[in-house]
Parts: sequence; structure tokens; C-alpha cells
Amino acid sequence: MLLVASYYFYMNWKPAYALLLLTSTAVTYFAALGIGHFEEKRKKKLCLVSSLVLNLAILFLFKYYNFLSSNIEAALQSSGLAINIPEFGLLLPVGISFYTFQALGYSIDVYRGTTKVEHDFFTYALFVSFFPQLVAGPIERSNNLLPQFRREHHFDYDSVMAGVRLMVWGYFMKLVLADRCGLYVDVIFNNVDKHNGGSYLVASLLFPFQIYGDFAGYSLIAIGVARVLGFHLMENFRRPYFACTVGEFWHRWHISLSTWFKDYVYIPLGGNRVGRMRNYFNLFVTFVVSGIWHGANWTFLCWGSLHGVLLCIEKALGFSKRRFSGMEKFLHWAVTFVLVCFAWIMFRANNLSDAITIATGIFTNPGVPYLDYATFIAVGMAMIVLLAKEFADEYQWKIHIAESDSWLVRHVYLVVMISYIILFGVLGGDQFIYFQF
Amino acid sequence: MKKLLTSILFVLVGLFAVDRLGGMMMWWVNQHTHDVSGPKIKYLVNNVCEDVVFLGTSRCNSHYVPSIISDTLGVSVYNGGIDASDNIYAHYFILNHILAIHQPKAICLEIMTSDFAVQEDPFATISFFAPYFGRNENADSIFRLAGKYWQYSISHLYRYNAKAASNIAGLAIDRNEGGDNGYIPNPKPAHHPRSLNHKRTPAKVDSLKLEYVQRFINLCHKNNVKLLFVVSPMYAKIDSDCYDVMKSIAKQNNVPFLDYHSAGLFLDHPEYFRDKLHLWDKGARIYSTIFAYDLRKILAL
Repeated sequence: MLLVASYYFYMNWKPAYALLLLTSTAVTYFAALGIGHFEEKRKKKLCLVSSLVLNLAILFLFKYYNFLSSNIEAALQSSGLAINIPEFGLLLPVGISFYTFQALGYSIDVYRGTTKVEHDFFTYALFVSFFPQLVAGPIERSNNLLPQFRREHHFDYDSVMAGVRLMVWGYFMKLVLADRCGLYVDVIFNNVDKHNGGSYLVASLLFPFQIYGDFAGYSLIAIGVARVLGFHLMENFRRPYFACTVGEFWHRWHISLSTWFKDYVYIPLGGNRVGRMRNYFNLFVTFVVSGIWHGANWTFLCWGSLHGVLLCIEKALGFSKRRFSGMEKFLHWAVTFVLVCFAWIMFRANNLSDAITIATGIFTNPGVPYLDYATFIAVGMAMIVLLAKEFADEYQWKIHIAESDSWLVRHVYLVVMISYIILFGVLGGDQFIYFQF
Repeated sequence: MKKLLTSILFVLVGLFAVDRLGGMMMWWVNQHTHDVSGPKIKYLVNNVCEDVVFLGTSRCNSHYVPSIISDTLGVSVYNGGIDASDNIYAHYFILNHILAIHQPKAICLEIMTSDFAVQEDPFATISFFAPYFGRNENADSIFRLAGKYWQYSISHLYRYNAKAASNIAGLAIDRNEGGDNGYIPNPKPAHHPRSLNHKRTPAKVDSLKLEYVQRFINLCHKNNVKLLFVVSPMYAKIDSDCYDVMKSIAKQNNVPFLDYHSAGLFLDHPEYFRDKLHLWDKGARIYSTIFAYDLRKILAL
């Protein structure tokens, strides 16, 4: 039933792309069976490599081929060779990076012996296609999710209501915070030549909250839907803008992806059990790959590289092993926040040229920003609500509203938040940013 | 399961109560705001009493100076142009409300290609008018067309969704400073438009919009209101047949059609423009003087 629902959900975008999902599922399923079946290590490795190559080839074809071919064309043209490389005309299937990585994670785990082979194809197909997290994560681990599909589930009132509360908070983050910020951010980032440094600065401060509200909001909706159905998905965000170092930011931001890269890229490269320079190289490469994972554009590559460089610097300064407190903590938080916001400019800009114009324009082209009072008021109110909750969670204040012991408080919270979304939510049906990855 | 049903019932009843109370509160906010479009819609729906009323979008809002036109015509004038009111559906909505309380001598409709061309979402901004849902059956037919009727019927709070933040901001900040009977002057821009675009004739015409253009005309005729279609200057060259669809309807219905854009007015004066679509205050004042003279001849008031 859940499998049918998941495929139906996915086919709503474009039915034909369900075949890609099925292909990825079948390839990793049979590869895992092969790994479990063969005794010889060489054959196990062959199964794993086949799974990796086939899945990554599909991902490359849909996501990176056109980017690579157009850059090769441009490079050849600049050296006087006019070669026309044919384009791949199909649209990027929604969520392909998420389910491909989830399926690949399973193949690698089976190869490493850290997870059991799933023999039931339908259970495994559900693991890859489970609809709440199919298109934008969290990228689940087989160890966590597969056993839950094998268990029988019964109706649990507390679980259903907890899931609903998570969903409502997720919708608040998406519709009230992220999409409101997006109204301003889009005006500036899509019309860079018409605005000044003041507008760039405001947009650069709003975008971090747009992307946070958008992505963390979707993750919470996914986790909430799964909880209603009786499943527990992993936490994907833990108040990332409270981080005091860039390294800590990555322990709080898109946790399912950053741990995926740590387990399946950084550690296989040698992790930190290597020489200092090699360790920096491993860190940098991991973040470059993470940048490319987000999209086939130089802006994502630069964003990932910038984070890689910042992490190497922090490592060299020994920040990762230190605990900060008092004024020092505040200063580290402020510097980290500014650096992360600065890097987001690369992420959001439509191209590198725009990114440079915005990043430099903040300092060289000052002026009164574009004043959109309505957006400022709506975002300001949403930020107060968000920050109140984040501070309470971060510093474990004994204020519980959504998860109060009182039945009445929990229900009043639902009524107030739903009403707030109806009144202030941007209800135009815009896309979630992360669906495109 | 009983606990779940109790929870659902509590939330539904709570939502109903908050929705109705919140709806009343937002109505008060909407009626007292000083944002850009709220007070104008309120005036058009409740108080309009001028002899000549201009309807249209932001181009209408910032191109027609009532005091100049009024001086020339010797009658009262109101500029009812509403920013981003988008197309004929919004104008039809407003016209129904106006005619329910007042019979102007003339209505001038500023025409845009969006009034007859196919748009991806022709009802994108119809929600601006949702606070007035349920007050005029003919006007509400637009909400049915937009597929929003049942949402607005169910939720009073949702009627304010499009403009809630703007209305609240308008309680603290008056956005209508320097206004002149609905006209809100555009400030002088840092840069005037530099290059001339070429405006092409829309490839596809929306037959439903044309039907509503006809309804708009019929409604004016039925109420003995003189109707005039106008296309004010734009800083863009234009295909000569760009507005032929509208000109044809106007001709069939004896509606005068003044097309200053195709005539190339101000194409040699980029300094009158704020951007390619809008004049700034200086341009608007010069244009209003020219237009008022032409209008006086047509209306023979």
C-alpha cells in the first residue's frame, strides 16, 4: 500500500521518471543480493562497483552532462575549435540526487557488512521510494528505516499528533518564513543590475533564512508525515545558525547529507587518520563534491569549495577541538554566521558574475535598500516566532508549547499556528528549493 | 481513535472561532490601513462619487493626474488604477462595485495586453480584492472563475492572506503621501530607461477575457456610462497591430480608443519615464495635460 502510494506520489511529477526510480531500486537491490551471495571479495566488489557506476551514470546523464558538455564546448571554442556537442534534452527528475544517494548508501553498507541484505524486493523498493522523504530527504540509512518497514505498525494517537505538530511547524517555516523571504530575495537576486549594495545586503541576510525555512521546513513535514504513519526518520536540521564554527554548522545543517558524505566520501578517502595535508585535501574534496551534488553550476562548485577552504582553515586553527564560552563564543558565532551568509550568496546567485557583483556591491555600492515594508513586517514577525522556539530548544528553556504536558496548550498551539499560516503564509503553491537537487 | 476524534473536533472548532474573530480584526485593519492599494479599493467600493473614473493597473495609477484633468474638463475625476490589478477580471470586479453605489459620467479604462492576451495565471492577483468577497454577487463571479470562491466562503481570515502584511504595514506607514484623488506620483528614478524595447503583438488571445471585455462594455452601456479605452505612453516600440483585437471590439461597441503608445508619444523623451512601463511624476503631468485636452473633445462635457 505504502509502495503504491509512494510511486503514485512520484508519478505525479512525470510518470516516466518512475522508471528511473525503479531502475535505481532494481540495480541496488540485485547488487546487494550479489554482495550477500558471493563469498569472494573480488566478486562482492564487482557488484558494488556495478551499482555505483550505473547509478552515478544515470545521475550524471540527467544532472551533469549538459553542464559538462557546454563547458567543454566553451573551452574548445576559446581555443579556436568550434565543436557542437549534442545536448541531453530531458528534464532533471525531481529528487534524483536524494534517492540515488540513499540507494547507494544501502549498497555500500551491505558491502561493508554494516547492514543486512534485504531479500524482499517490495520492502526494499519502499525503502528507496518512501514518499515523505523521496524528493528532498532526509537521506535515510538502511539501518534506521528498513527494520521499521519489517515491523507491524499500529495506530498510535501520540505519534499521530506529534507528527501533525511537526508538519504544522514545517509548513510555518516554509510558507510563512521561507516564501516571504523569497519574495524579497528573488526581486534582488533576479535583477542584480537594478539594485544597490543596501538591497544586496538585506537580500543576503534574508536568503539564509529562506533556504533554512524552505529545506528544514520540508524535512519537518517529511518527518511529520512519516511519524503520523508510525515511522521515525532521522533529524535533518539542528538550529544551524547557532553554530560557532563552520564545522559545527555542518553538524547542524542537512545532517543526513553531511553524515552521508562523511561516511561514504570523507572516511573512504582516509578521513583524518592521514597526514595533515592529506586531511585538508580530503576535507576540501568532500565539500567540493557536496557543492556539485547540489547542482550543475559553477556557483554550487564555488559554494562547496568555499566551505571546504573554511573548514581547512578552522582545522588548521584547531577550532574543531575547542569549546567556546562567553564573549569569545559570541564573536565566533558572529563570524561564522557572516561567513555562512556570504557563502550563501554563491549558492543563490544565478551565475558567478552576479555572485561577484553582489558580494562586492555590498561594500562598494552602498545605498538605501529597496524597501518592501510588507515583507519586512511579515518576515520580522515570523523571525520572532522562529527565534523564540530556536532559543528555547537550543538553551533548553523550560518552555514547552508544541510539546507541552497540557493537552489544551498543545491543541491551542495547533489552532494558532494553522490560523497564522492561513493569514500570513504565501499560499501560491511555489516549489520547494531542494526538490531541484 | 476517540482521542483523535476529540482532537480533530477541538482543532476544527478552534479554527472556526479564530477564523471569524481574526476575520473581523483584519477587516478593521483593512479599513484603516494606509498602504497603497487598500484605501483605493475601499474608496472605489464604498465612496466613489466622481464624474470621471479611471480604471487600470499601475500604469493607470501613475499616469493620470486627476487635478490636471479635472481643471481641463471642469468635472471631478478619480484615479482608480490599482497596482498589479493585472487584467480585465480585476477591472470588471471593481466596475461592478462602483456601479452598485454610483453612476459616473465616464469611465476611462487603461488597456494593457494582459487584458486580452493569454497569461499563465490570469487570476494571480485577484486575491487583492478578496476582503470584499460576499458584498456584490456579480463581482464575486470573478472569484468563481478564479477557483477561489469556496476558500473565501469557508475562511474569513484567508480573504486577507494576499495583503495582510501590507495592510498591517500600512497602519504604521502612510504610503499615499502626495496623493491626488487616487493618483500616486512616481518619484524621479536614478536612471531613466536607456534602450528601446520592441513590444510584440501577443501570440494568443484569451477568448474568456474578450468575453469579460464585452461584459465590461455592456455594463457601462446599461448604466449609461460613457466608456473610453486608452493606452498611455510606454518606452517601447510596438507592432502596429498590437491592440487590434481591442480596437476591433471598441469599434463594434462605439467605444473611443485612444492609443498614445502606438502613436509613439514620448518615445523621444526617455527622461519622462521611471522605467519602460511607467512615467514618473513629471511625465505623468505632461501626459495628463495632453490627454485631458483629447478627452474633453471626446466627452464634450
